[in-house]
Amino acid sequence: MMIFANQTCRLAIFAAAGLLYVTVTSADEPKPVPESAPPATDAASAETANAAVRSYVGLEVYPTELTLSSIRDSRRVIVAGITADGQKIDVSSKITVTTPSPVCRVDADGYIVPVMAGEGSIVVEAVGHKVEIPIHVTTVETVAVDFIRDVNPILSKVGCNQGTCHGSQSGKNGFKLSLRGYDSVYDYRALVDDISGRRFNRSEPAQSLILLKPTQGVPHEGGFLFDEQSRYYKVLEQWVAEGCQYKPDAARVASIAIYPPTPMLQLRHDQQQLIVIATYADGSTRDVTREAVFETSNFEVATVSKQGLIKAVQRGEAAALVRFEGNYAAAPVSILGNRDGYEWTPSPEQNFIDGLVNSKLQRMKLLPSGPADDAEFLRRVSLDIAGVPPTIAEVNAFLADTAEPVAKRAAKVDQLLSRPEYVEHWTLKWSDLLLNRRKTVTERGVWAFRNWIRQAVATNKPYDQFASELMTAGGSTLENPAANYFRIAREPKLVMENMTQVFLGTRFSCNQCHDHPFERWTQNQYYELAAYFADVGRRALPDDDEFVFTNVSPEAVINPSTNQAASPKFPFSHAGAVNAGAHRREQLSQWLTAKENPYFARSIVNRYWSYFLGRGIIDPVDDIRASNPASNSELLDALTKDFTDNGYDLKRLIRLICTSVTYQRSLESNQWNDDDTMNYSHAVPRRLSAEQLYDAIIQATGAPRALPGVPAGFRASELPDSQVEVAFLDMFGRAPRESPCECERTSDVSLGQTLNMVNGPTIGDAIAHPEGIIAKTIAAGATNEQLIETVYLSTLCRKPSAEEMTRTVEYFSTVATPKEATEDLTWALINSPGFLFNR
Amino acid sequence: MRFSLLPAVVLALSTCVAAGNFMPAIAQDEKPPEKAVSYYRSVRPILQRQCSGCHFPGKLEGKLSVLSVAELLKGGEAGAAVVPAKPDESKLVKSISGDDPEMPVSGDPLSAEAVYTIRTWITQGAIDDSPPDVGVVITAENPPVYSTPPVVTAMDYSPDGKLLAVSGYHEVLIHTLDGSVPPKRLIGRSQRIESLSFSPNGQILAVAGGTPALFGELQLWNVAESKLLHSTTLALDTLFGLSFNGDGTLVSFGAADNRVRVVKVETAEVTMRMDAHSDWVQGTTFSLNNDHVISVSRDMSMKLTIVGTGQFVDNITSITPGALKGGLVDVIRHPTREEVLAVGSDGEPRLYKIFREKARQIGDDFNLIRAYSKLPGRLCDLDLSASGNKFVVGSSTAISGAARIYLTEDAAKFVDIPDVTAPVFSVSFRPDEMQVAVSGFDGMIKLCHAETGAIEKTFPAAPLTTAPPSVATASD
Repeated sequence: MMIFANQTCRLAIFAAAGLLYVTVTSADEPKPVPESAPPATDAASAETANAAVRSYVGLEVYPTELTLSSIRDSRRVIVAGITADGQKIDVSSKITVTTPSPVCRVDADGYIVPVMAGEGSIVVEAVGHKVEIPIHVTTVETVAVDFIRDVNPILSKVGCNQGTCHGSQSGKNGFKLSLRGYDSVYDYRALVDDISGRRFNRSEPAQSLILLKPTQGVPHEGGFLFDEQSRYYKVLEQWVAEGCQYKPDAARVASIAIYPPTPMLQLRHDQQQLIVIATYADGSTRDVTREAVFETSNFEVATVSKQGLIKAVQRGEAAALVRFEGNYAAAPVSILGNRDGYEWTPSPEQNFIDGLVNSKLQRMKLLPSGPADDAEFLRRVSLDIAGVPPTIAEVNAFLADTAEPVAKRAAKVDQLLSRPEYVEHWTLKWSDLLLNRRKTVTERGVWAFRNWIRQAVATNKPYDQFASELMTAGGSTLENPAANYFRIAREPKLVMENMTQVFLGTRFSCNQCHDHPFERWTQNQYYELAAYFADVGRRALPDDDEFVFTNVSPEAVINPSTNQAASPKFPFSHAGAVNAGAHRREQLSQWLTAKENPYFARSIVNRYWSYFLGRGIIDPVDDIRASNPASNSELLDALTKDFTDNGYDLKRLIRLICTSVTYQRSLESNQWNDDDTMNYSHAVPRRLSAEQLYDAIIQATGAPRALPGVPAGFRASELPDSQVEVAFLDMFGRAPRESPCECERTSDVSLGQTLNMVNGPTIGDAIAHPEGIIAKTIAAGATNEQLIETVYLSTLCRKPSAEEMTRTVEYFSTVATPKEATEDLTWALINSPGFLFNR
Repeated sequence: MRFSLLPAVVLALSTCVAAGNFMPAIAQDEKPPEKAVSYYRSVRPILQRQCSGCHFPGKLEGKLSVLSVAELLKGGEAGAAVVPAKPDESKLVKSISGDDPEMPVSGDPLSAEAVYTIRTWITQGAIDDSPPDVGVVITAENPPVYSTPPVVTAMDYSPDGKLLAVSGYHEVLIHTLDGSVPPKRLIGRSQRIESLSFSPNGQILAVAGGTPALFGELQLWNVAESKLLHSTTLALDTLFGLSFNGDGTLVSFGAADNRVRVVKVETAEVTMRMDAHSDWVQGTTFSLNNDHVISVSRDMSMKLTIVGTGQFVDNITSITPGALKGGLVDVIRHPTREEVLAVGSDGEPRLYKIFREKARQIGDDFNLIRAYSKLPGRLCDLDLSASGNKFVVGSSTAISGAARIYLTEDAAKFVDIPDVTAPVFSVSFRPDEMQVAVSGFDGMIKLCHAETGAIEKTFPAAPLTTAPPSVATASD
């Protein structure tokens, strides 16, 4: 703590996330100053009332000093009021900024605009406190307006180039811009040489269409966007008057940063102003808050205005997404809401997962649920690891096992990981992701590729090796079935799209036609990456086989925007070694599977996590991008590190997850976590997949397995592809394997499904089957109580509670035969959430 | 959008209006807070978009123009269109309200929000808040002033080779090539001149242009007297690609309304319309026999139409694979053969037969005779020499440009114009085939030797004042 000479303020300087914040507290002001109440729109809102009585003991400003390095370098400050209990509340909308010095002036919108070179300061006043900020103006020489730096960001900000307007595929009314301004040359041409310069008027700049249209000086379907007095107008007017300059070598934006980086708002109606600073390739920085485009990832939690003002709507988490000149950034926004009475109670931890989850829970003022009971755990873990619910015998054995609970559950996880059903379950998942289907690889090929995947799962092939073998596969697709990867996708672009979505968890398909709308990926990168698959040769062999080889003269991958063949180039580089002398797919494989690749391991770990917890830490799991931040990046980092440090061992990953306290939590929520959807404070129900559901019905009823097209005894999970027609499986959303998107497999609940569950032949026939569990149990002379317990165990994998038993026994007495009653009970339980969902 | 901010009561009110009722008393008592409706921002765009197509000085349906408040107050045949503060007495409101409004005659009725906006503006007193400078009119008495040369979009040599007509802002400048007198200035209504052409006998200068997003105009000038013979307003945006027929009795041109028109020079009456294009028509030319007109468009097609009937005959080329790619910008007929040269966005000039000798197949490009070497960027203009042996093409990459003289019969031979650093939007071949004029973005006209390409003379397209425009540096 430093003491200033005038003794009016104490400065606490500390580094937070590499940034300097200055905390100013007024020493002469012992009494906190109450802030005037904001207009309460909702009288019932206790939160608003709370906010009204806040009082502040000091201010914290960002940045703590300003350097303005050109006439067009104007900047703003954001200010937090510090409450007596240390909370920082944004008061940027309540500040008064004055300047005692001639070097700068304060614009109507609060921006500090340079006036003359020199040193000066501004005084920021808010909620009864005051702070002075030094200003350095290095130069105020006139600079010409440049298209890339000044004009295009305005077109983006006012929305000219958005997808619904001139950025659409065919433009609007004859005027087309690149989507969100990703192609500055294209946009410059649209304004300057299209129709021989129709859109600007150098003789009379104010008569330029580029100015008349947005001001409605001439009819404009896109409406009124800014007026003649606005800054945007003046910049565009000056650009035209100066002759529409374009500097192709103008420094481009290298990155953007958001301040504060992790906004945390307390109550409803609280606000937080953001500042966006762009760093250019030449190292210069610029406040681009007014030109950046803001969006919220969840407007039910927080809105973000066009000016970058976050408003809290309700407790929860969202992200403020910011876009500027092809750069994307996201700030995770937390709205805590009123948590009066909340107190963290330490929760047990089994491994590092629990510690990292718990610290996030604590930060969000959540309290985790208690553990699931043994029956719940057993059903959940069996479905998740092996794809099937436990049998009656397994349930009974597990419930009767008196071993120490943690060890007992860990042993169960290990046992499940060694079961053949584990192999089938994960073979099915990977067959989906790798799009194995007879339509592309013939029936023989489907079985061959499936067996290759099974082998990989069964031997727990290290994941990097698995991916590498696929990327570099060659030879006969029957003898080396991994080569089917190049039979399924037959052209470099498609192979690349599938590869990026499955192995990097990113979607490259968007940037085939234009730069990615939410990410830094460009159209060029799409073709450059696809070029790594340009050397795949294919030759037909007899018996529906095909020979895949490495072609010495790769076919050209033509980038339509340049009409040139793309040279292979990775969209991002990392420290991992790539042998430049190797053939293209070999290089790609080395780059892809390197430990240093920031997406490869991270994306699979995230994907597997979602299979067990119901939601990816980044979600959707195959849409990883800057604008889709992780809900708990420390957790994802730690899981990734464990995975790469331990030989890309998928079984180890599953074991880690399933033995964590986090995974084993109960479905029951409490008052402090019932609204949590993304922090894993309680379990979430997940509808059984089509195959799981079918197999579970057959197992619960004991009906024989008789699927068409496969030998008797095959389970639905063992079907080679979706070409084996089973209407039930299609209705419940099995993956058709046309795209590697996780969204292909649906878990929606539809009316058709409900009717099928209630009335359909799959359920009806299985329940009434003469060789089923009901028939056998009755034949063995079971009592009503025994029948009831058997049905509970076979369907819900647990024993009935005493109350359930009493009520069901009562019900049995009202039905003519035990058979009929048992069938009714089975039908009712199969149709209950306890059966349909993995809980 | 602003409209979405209007309270729900707006819709209810509009419905009442539509049903012929007055505002219910309760709504008047409540007086929902109404912002002042701006004529300039809110009313004028509605009228411009949905009414001005018929009610503007060029057309004056019902003797009414809706382009200014004064004209609305003055009204037309049916009396004042607007009576301030009295919406129910205003003919404008009556004609656009109701379930089946009288206006617009064709096209969709105005939205309930638009009607409400106009009604509210009248109720509030029909105040004219147009910025003062909107009314500044450029005329012969108040000619345009240039501090930098205007972007040149069109040029043409007179048939005797002594004059060069050049597009300016609101005017055509006719330069005498020996520099003996200052250029004559033909000042008109159109801000932009997109295309101009001397008649075969050099007596008439036809000019196609307009003011972007407002109107298109055909001007026919008596060159000797600098007298405007006809000004015809057509379409709601500029006209392009003008050509005379062989005897100078007709001109054809394209337009931003996707239409090709043929106009009789003597009366300026439209004698043919053709609507088969799906995007702006940027170039036209007559066949050698003058019985067909050939048009090119941003829709990437080149179409053949019968002049007498306006009947569409054929796609000489179309967007199918292998045919010309990118929008087509200009087309010109060979002086002695039924062949046309066309240029467009793909940078490659091509020579086509006008009339098909093989049955048409989807995806064919049978009419193509020859493709010439590509220029960087897109091609913006084209001119053939009088004999048809050579042609000149200008191109733009927006940042730079190029111009090239080709031999029509030998695709391998060409001469590049040196030192072209700005986009070239206009080129013209002097009738004696010894010189070409090249200009564009920078507004400087280069006269070049047609054999060597050597630049013989460079001068600005328009006389310049010395003072640069005074635009304050915008702060950031």
